Amino acid sequence: MPHLVVEKLTKVYERGKVRALSNVSFSVEKGEFLVLIGLSGSGKSTLLRCINRLVEPTSGRVFLNGLELTQLSPRAMRKIRRKIGMVFQQFNLVKRATVLQNVLAGRLGYNPTLPTLLGRFPKRDILRAQECLARVGLLDKMYMRADQLSGGQQQRVGIARALMQEPELLLADEPVSALDPATSHSVMQYIEQINKEDGVTVIASLHFLSLARRYGQRIIALKSGEIVFDGLPEAIDDQKFKEIYGEEAEEVEVR
Amino acid sequence: MKLFKARLLSLLLDLALWTYLLYSGFTLHYLMTRWRVWEPEAKFIAPTLPGWGWAFVVWGILELVLLTRAFGPSLGQRILGVWLVSESGSPPSFSQRWAYFLFAHLGILSLGIIVFLAPEHPRYERWAGVRLAPLPPPGSGAFRRRWYLTAYGISAFLFVGMTLALGWRLTEIDLQNLVRRASRSIRIWRGLINPDFRYLFTPDPRIKLSFIDGLVQSLYMALLATVAGTAVAFPLSFVGARNIMARGPLGWLVYSFTRGFFNVFRAVESVYWASIFAIWVGFGPFAGSMALFIHTIAALGKLFSEQVEHIDPGPVEAVTATGANLLQVVRYAVVPQVIPQFLAFTLYRWDINLRMATVVALVGGGGIGRLLFEYKDDLQWSLVGGVIILFMITVWIMDYVSGWVRERIT
Ligand SMILES: Nc1ncnc2c1ncn2[C@@H]1O[C@H](COP(=O)(O)OP(=O)(O)OP(=O)(O)O)[C@@H](O)[C@H]1O
Ligand SMILES: [Mg+2]
Repeated sequence: MPHLVVEKLTKVYERGKVRALSNVSFSVEKGEFLVLIGLSGSGKSTLLRCINRLVEPTSGRVFLNGLELTQLSPRAMRKIRRKIGMVFQQFNLVKRATVLQNVLAGRLGYNPTLPTLLGRFPKRDILRAQECLARVGLLDKMYMRADQLSGGQQQRVGIARALMQEPELLLADEPVSALDPATSHSVMQYIEQINKEDGVTVIASLHFLSLARRYGQRIIALKSGEIVFDGLPEAIDDQKFKEIYGEEAEEVEVR
Repeated sequence: MKLFKARLLSLLLDLALWTYLLYSGFTLHYLMTRWRVWEPEAKFIAPTLPGWGWAFVVWGILELVLLTRAFGPSLGQRILGVWLVSESGSPPSFSQRWAYFLFAHLGILSLGIIVFLAPEHPRYERWAGVRLAPLPPPGSGAFRRRWYLTAYGISAFLFVGMTLALGWRLTEIDLQNLVRRASRSIRIWRGLINPDFRYLFTPDPRIKLSFIDGLVQSLYMALLATVAGTAVAFPLSFVGARNIMARGPLGWLVYSFTRGFFNVFRAVESVYWASIFAIWVGFGPFAGSMALFIHTIAALGKLFSEQVEHIDPGPVEAVTATGANLLQVVRYAVVPQVIPQFLAFTLYRWDINLRMATVVALVGGGGIGRLLFEYKDDLQWSLVGGVIILFMITVWIMDYVSGWVRERIT
């Protein structure tokens, strides 16, 4: 059984009557590293957010381990979200909070409401937070305010927050678009490591085809909300490339 | 359909404008004739006309409106972004404008039926060889005359001028009295610069309150009202924030209700609340604190929830994605973003409440304001001066301290 199945997913934003996704279907095996590519506005973010229902799909179904997410109650959906980590283009950390607090937020779904409202977490969560921070090489930054870190460091905190959830699926929405090329690779390598070592299924949207080729085991290309390519990275030749990115586009390399 | 809407709305606007101008003209004329013969009971008037006179007035307004529209753009046309052009797109000629003015009467005589027959381009416009078109962007050189020489410029000037002139009369501004009767206030000024601190520490035997007693009472009234008001406004502010609550119809209802509550209760000034509570719980500082408390909830609630609505949505999205529930999202993604502003607003509110604490005494709110109003009623201006100076010093210190703290935290 595939890990994640997306079936005829369609999203129409009422505001502006934008058809951001139309009839998107694909499935992902456990432990796969899938990369989404496509021009700005092609619907990558919408697709990722429809999977954990940060955005409510207009129609279509999403299955995780055979369980239909699209018909779960809000409460049941919250339970499932704990197993789906997410990393964002703008990192989405709470800037005024410390790194530790940001990472601990990844554990909120596992803990009862009242103690967490008072800011209390079990000892083992704090230990786990330290482990996760050590894994992304930021243990010494634990008590710093998040906005004092560099972009790459902030994204690593974002990854640590996702790791706290003990995810089985990681959604990464353009995790390196706000970073310079060298930092991009270091961040992508942390994500790759989570995929390889922990067996976490990863779906990442990326802007650059070169990054997609380097990290993706499989690539899906979106154009105006439709899948125009689904296959191995090697299969994207010049002609396919032009089809995805338009006639004028030229491939650039990120090293 | 868009031009039709612009045509209708601009016509209504023009009608409203000229009705107002004509009415204020009547009023002004009336007041002018009364200028020298001052009759206090005849200050507010409605123009008196025989019944058939009103028909002429309405007719006059219609003519004026059509005239400004023909030689426009009129103010209404200008606001809705349309103007008349000839069929070729250039500004209409003089004779075309007159033709439009005459034919447009048909639009009104037919009660608009002729317009509904061809909403985008009514027949009378076609006969005059003109049509309504969107205004060209400013600075494109399409306007030949300077804006203040056009119909809309002139009517805008008239509108502002009439309003100010009416305001002058209705607020009974009287510069003569300001000068002529100045000598009456001399006693007050003399008292104020010779302040009397007799009762600074020893209570006034009649009122049984010293200045310091009153001041401390006011300070604590303001403090309690601020603390309690903030405690209530804080949780309510999330309920009154669209980005937190408006997820589904029930949430939207709660949000609208909370916002409505803030707006209504904020609109009622503390003084009115004080007069209500003075009757409810009796005269004294408790009534004053309750008044400040209610007003603080509404005022801070509104400010707080606007702050919540302006947060960065990113962290909210991220914390929601971890499987946290709404309360946890608020605690971990929203609260850290708004705390500094909340603190600053609260300090600022304390400032305001201290000042208001004196005013609510006017209707029985207690505190230092009570002394102020008692002495004022007894014409004891030196004592009034003493109270005011003490109060001013306190406010200065508070201002300085809270300003300093606010600077630190934001
Ligand atoms: N909240 C929204 N309301 C209305 N329309 C939206 C909303 N979010 C996205 N859209 C529209 O949906 C389409 C797809 O947007 P989406 O953000 O999914 O694209 P993307 O591939 O992630 O683009 P980018 O690379 O710029 O992030 C766009 O046309 C966008 O304008
Ligand atoms: Mg996006």
